[in-house]
Amino acid sequence: MPLLRRYALIYREYVNNCVAEALSYRLHFVLLIVMDLLFYLSLLGGVDFLFQHLDQIGPWNRQAFLFFMAFMIAVEHLHMTFVSENFWAFSHDIRTGKLDFILLKPAAALFIVFFRAMRPATLLLGLFPWGLLGWYGSQLGLLWWQWLLLPPLVLLGLALLTSVEILISMSMFWLVESMGINFLRMQLQQLSRWPDFIYGYFAQKFFGLAVPVLLVGSAPVRFVLNPHDTSGLLWLLGLMGLSWLLTAFFWRRGLRAYESASS
Amino acid sequence: MIHATALSKNFRVYHKAPGFWGSVRSFWQRQYSDKPAVKAFDLEIGKGERVGLLGPNGAGKTTLMKMFTGIIVPSSGQLSVLGHQPHARSRDFRLRIALVMGQKSQLWWDIPAMDSFVLLQRYYEIEESTFRRRLNALVSLLDVAPLLQVHVRKLSLGERMKMELIACLLHQPELLFLDEPTIGLDLVAQRKIREFILEWQREYGTTVLLTSHYMADVDALCERIVLVLNGQKRFDGGIRSFESLLGRQKYVSVSFEQPVDTQSAVWQPHDPQWQADGLQVELRIDEAVLRETAMAIFRDFPVQSFSMEKLPIERVMHQLLQETEVL
Amino acid sequence: MAGTLKAEWHKWWATVVINWRRLLAYKLNFLLLVIGPVLVFFFIRYQVWAGIYRLEGVDTLQGYTFEQMLAYQVWVMIVGFLALGFNGMNLAEEIRLGRISSYLLYPFGFWPFQMASFLAFQGLQLLVATVTLLAVWAMGWVQLQPLALLQGFSLAACVGLFWFQANFVIGILAFWLEETWVLRVMLVTLSQFFSGALIPLELFPKALAQALHWLPFPYLTYMPVKVFMGTYTGSLWQAFAVLLLWTLLVFGLARVVWRQGIHNYTGAGI
Repeated sequence: MPLLRRYALIYREYVNNCVAEALSYRLHFVLLIVMDLLFYLSLLGGVDFLFQHLDQIGPWNRQAFLFFMAFMIAVEHLHMTFVSENFWAFSHDIRTGKLDFILLKPAAALFIVFFRAMRPATLLLGLFPWGLLGWYGSQLGLLWWQWLLLPPLVLLGLALLTSVEILISMSMFWLVESMGINFLRMQLQQLSRWPDFIYGYFAQKFFGLAVPVLLVGSAPVRFVLNPHDTSGLLWLLGLMGLSWLLTAFFWRRGLRAYESASS
Repeated sequence: MIHATALSKNFRVYHKAPGFWGSVRSFWQRQYSDKPAVKAFDLEIGKGERVGLLGPNGAGKTTLMKMFTGIIVPSSGQLSVLGHQPHARSRDFRLRIALVMGQKSQLWWDIPAMDSFVLLQRYYEIEESTFRRRLNALVSLLDVAPLLQVHVRKLSLGERMKMELIACLLHQPELLFLDEPTIGLDLVAQRKIREFILEWQREYGTTVLLTSHYMADVDALCERIVLVLNGQKRFDGGIRSFESLLGRQKYVSVSFEQPVDTQSAVWQPHDPQWQADGLQVELRIDEAVLRETAMAIFRDFPVQSFSMEKLPIERVMHQLLQETEVL
Repeated sequence: MAGTLKAEWHKWWATVVINWRRLLAYKLNFLLLVIGPVLVFFFIRYQVWAGIYRLEGVDTLQGYTFEQMLAYQVWVMIVGFLALGFNGMNLAEEIRLGRISSYLLYPFGFWPFQMASFLAFQGLQLLVATVTLLAVWAMGWVQLQPLALLQGFSLAACVGLFWFQANFVIGILAFWLEETWVLRVMLVTLSQFFSGALIPLELFPKALAQALHWLPFPYLTYMPVKVFMGTYTGSLWQAFAVLLLWTLLVFGLARVVWRQGIHNYTGAGI
């Protein structure tokens, strides 16, 4: 247990520092909340406008579709709060050689690199996605066990998304300037915001297996709506494990390629 | 070149109590205060002078530099540099100055330095032939020809600093500001940079204003020293008179064959700095009593070696910061 | 005077060139940056709209057949290429870290520097847009009409100018704010949605679509796209006039903000 405890303590300090930093820029703090809210609303608005002209898309009606959107927003909310800042910082650190400082610390460098920064302002907005999830869930008439499944499934979706993104970010070691990779990451997120059945056959296979971002939302939501449909979830777990193995491999290769730009 | 009268600059700072709750509280209410960085500063610098701006961290040196180059606006007072008001940042003014920053880079990080030089050639409207001539001269003086095509982020600190110098000198500024130009460099590189700047200055009669924490820089490059403490000018004069601020003293280093009595009355008036084992001592001795003191030391102690030089400027500075009442 | 004009031109051109060098210093990165919209188009826009039309078996959505919707989305991508740059992304950081000090010392202003950087990037984007457009045209997804192309490109260029200046204003707010990317992302999110870059304005609720015409948003994507498609029915002059008016407004704003900002600048740690 001391290992976990040690990392928990380190993480607490990260959170403390991030809170102190976030609160010292007041306007920025408020604007972040407004920005996220606008983003969520634009996502919902797009789907809502579409359904003013359609009754159903594939197997899902308006309620099911918006429930899916709410699920994705809940995943992205946690993603933005706890992970997303780190990817930008990582590319910056590689380019400027600041990664040196992290490599010197006596703690797992992968942990520091991808979990050191979080966004307290975004955390405050958590009520919104979970409220949405509750609202559309109740419209679908979810049962008690379905409600109980929601939080762990959101976390699972987040875990998969983060794992895939970390694996992709390993390429930053070789690319050095990685704004492009970060944009690619964001485009993959955008891709995952639509249910898998909307895509054509090859796109479904590719983004369900090779770069499995379609599993982030579709697999858990299918499972909630129909607990016999476990195949997606099993794929999710398997591919996530695989991505961890690959990340470990490429991390070591990447460090060998890291040049540590001069001071 | 530079006329400053009663120049002042205040910065606004806000205070936060430490810890999590301190952060939360400061979110709602903030306490600000004005921190004066430079207070009623007068300065005259003439053409071709080499002036060192000295002072501890936070004394206001960089703030002064920033005001002289027009990067920040003074809170009050008069300032004219090269006949211009710097913060108006007229084109003519910018064409005639340059600022070298030891801690910052103006070169483009991701491409070779040569590309940045070509850009600067355009910005400063330098003729192609003039540009080539100056560049070749600078490159051979600093011995960096093979590095021109290397990406800046792959250069060592010393190499990059040389490139920064080239970038600042291509347009032959009349007024050169050097903000800690040798910071972080090894001794050889420091000396090279110093020699280069000196040579350049002699050749073109450039006016140089330098800040540095390395007294060797100041010693080698400056003929005049301006001491800044807490935003105020505390000394302004030639480097020799700066050295004799503490009286006319010599710096003496003595080592002995065996440990000696460090408590002896001979040492006390001369600010002794002992090596722990009592085998070596460094002293500051007034020239008036130099002969008799030296003779006493030779007579009473087993002297192995004895060396004497004028007081290094580092010791002067160190001493002055402890006894500011001398000023 | 001719001499100084020439010198000015040299400065601009040198800035453009060095930006190209910098952008191409990391070629794969650059490729990912410019190719992003193309990926989004093929893997998301195309797939999603094809899915919607296929799954529902609908022929038209508010007057758009699938082919028209596809063409609409192609033109959205092209307008994005022509009008949206990345300037302003680094601007705030340059001010915050005090790196702007270098530009303050050069006898070449900060605004011209940013503008030249923008033009450099747009030049490359224009190339990408042309290639993409030709490819898509060869597949028969869009029709090209010379007059519509000319009008559309001019309108998109105006939109580009507007975006540049809007990003510039937001960027220099860094004189007061510690971070400005939030404002930029907000503006982009809002305008993506309300300019019809995601779904055409015809699909919006009536009242909202009408209200939007009082704001600059429809002029940023929807109108140029309709012009390119040759289905724009309103007055072209009006579109230009409104766009120019908004652009002038941000220009004026930038001037005021810059003057104030430079005066307050403290050059954090130079």
